[in-house]
Amino acid sequence: MSSSHKTILAVGFLVLMGAAAGLGSYPVYLMSLAMINVIAAVGLNMLTGNAGQISLCHSSFMAIGAYTSTLISAHWGLPFWVSIPMGTVLAGLAGGLLGAPATRLAGIYLALATLGFLQIVQITIEELSSITGGVRGLNVPKASIAGTELSDYPKFLIIGLSCAAVIWICSNLMKSRVGREFDAVRLSPHAAQAMGLSISRIKLSAFMLSAALAGLAGGLQALLVGFIDPVEFGVSASLRHITFIVVGGMGSMGGSVLGALVLSALPEFLRPVKEYSDLIYVAILLAFLIFLPRGLITLLTSLMNRVRGIGRAAGRT
Amino acid sequence: MTTALALQLTLAGLSVGSVYALVALAIVLPFKASGVLNFGQGEVVTLGAYVALVLTQSGLPYAAVILGVLGVGLLGGWAIEYFFIRPIIRAPEFTIVIATFAIGLLIKAAISLKFGDSPNSVDGPFGMEPLLLGPVRANPTSLWIIGCTAAVTLGIVAFFKWSRLGKAMRAVSIDAQAAQLMGIRSESVYRLAWMMSTAIGAMAGLLVAPLVGVNPELGGLILRGLLAAVLGGFTSVGGALLGGLCVGLVETFSGVWLGSTFKNLMPFVVLMVVLVFRPQGFFGVGEVKRV
Repeated sequence: MSSSHKTILAVGFLVLMGAAAGLGSYPVYLMSLAMINVIAAVGLNMLTGNAGQISLCHSSFMAIGAYTSTLISAHWGLPFWVSIPMGTVLAGLAGGLLGAPATRLAGIYLALATLGFLQIVQITIEELSSITGGVRGLNVPKASIAGTELSDYPKFLIIGLSCAAVIWICSNLMKSRVGREFDAVRLSPHAAQAMGLSISRIKLSAFMLSAALAGLAGGLQALLVGFIDPVEFGVSASLRHITFIVVGGMGSMGGSVLGALVLSALPEFLRPVKEYSDLIYVAILLAFLIFLPRGLITLLTSLMNRVRGIGRAAGRT
Repeated sequence: MTTALALQLTLAGLSVGSVYALVALAIVLPFKASGVLNFGQGEVVTLGAYVALVLTQSGLPYAAVILGVLGVGLLGGWAIEYFFIRPIIRAPEFTIVIATFAIGLLIKAAISLKFGDSPNSVDGPFGMEPLLLGPVRANPTSLWIIGCTAAVTLGIVAFFKWSRLGKAMRAVSIDAQAAQLMGIRSESVYRLAWMMSTAIGAMAGLLVAPLVGVNPELGGLILRGLLAAVLGGFTSVGGALLGGLCVGLVETFSGVWLGSTFKNLMPFVVLMVVLVFRPQGFFGVGEVKRV
């Protein structure tokens, strides 16, 4: 991406953040939710798209982030800007806890282990109802800065800035040595090992990074929605995140963003046929897996190349 | 704990274990044939249970219900293999894992759209009046489930051992290329494996329906089936059977002794431990890979 593109993106982002001030609270809420989805998708895509590891428990890390930050604010009275980072760190550590044994597994065995982990987290939340509120859920303490309670727009700004920071950091990270190591593990673990890379260290760092971002997304979601319950973080939530990256484009930062934004907007368009929305969602996932496994981003880039080609041809005449 | 109670619990454990064993068997068959693990198998069980529900409510005799469920199972397997699995059989493992998951969710979404989320009950062929075998009160449905599972397993073992098709399937699972050179169509074998698998899964749904009722969440028992398959080493029919029975027994007894939290959590902790320390299970052979 050239520097002029970056400028356009940055300016566009700032305009969007400013313009949202004029919107009603529902669109602002939806956009916040979409950006939380972007954060989660970016995290998952680095693990699955770049490092090539299947994870069915992304939503569990979101749960860990959400419950940690909520419980810390509720019991210790710490402000959200302390509790959410703590939730992020704890989710990252949980990612390490799962990742350490999971680095020995691949393919379906990894899928099974992550599915098992998801169930363990889910059941633990449900059974520890004295702490987590169990299936009835938990109200998140109202977030405030300097005594003023946050309304939807300041929350939107916080989430938007976090999202921009995550995209900026992660796209640089994926262009650095870390990203190349992830790609090496996906493309050829044997060759990577022969080059002296430690596969298990790389897999572990992919798990921790991805889990930490999921934890951040979970903490922000708790902040935004104000209520958490275990149903939010079940296997269908994990599948939703996987759908984001499959539809957007595996292993592509633009793909994560595109997929998360498009699919976050989808429920609004499906409102007239609400009862079919689950069906449509899964059908979209299957259709992409079979017919366009590399995602929307490939369509977008080929379209942009064509436009550029036309522009160049026009310039010559 | 009295002997009678212990026997009663054993019977209950064996009957749920039989259902898990059938689910595990249904998972193992296509995996053995083509290396595809069907994460949507739980919803095939749900589908079988709903077909049983509809057919029973329409007043058909039980034999016809069984045939109907098996028929829908075979047809479903054919459709899944033809429309979804075949186009992506060469895709990366991630694609296949997620696709099978999605197929399951598709079935589940369609079922809850058609029937709603409220639970229904289906009668077994013998009702719920317990049989008295000495001091032991035996639920006839449990006995029926155990018997059916035994029959299905024996049938499968015999099929693989003696029938031409079964031998062809074994050949493909050992070395697909060599089998193809001997004139075996591996596509037909994959399709047959899927059809058998979904028929067994649907049968499991029919059998478990009188025990737990019918609702769209029934497919959750795939997790126990997966655990059973993992314990059994993923590739053996006998392993799947033993794995399923173990999971059923341990679950039932631990529920009595250690409470429901432990009962719910136990299968997944065991799953993780087994995957990490003994991924080839207890009846499987470790995969030898040349680097």
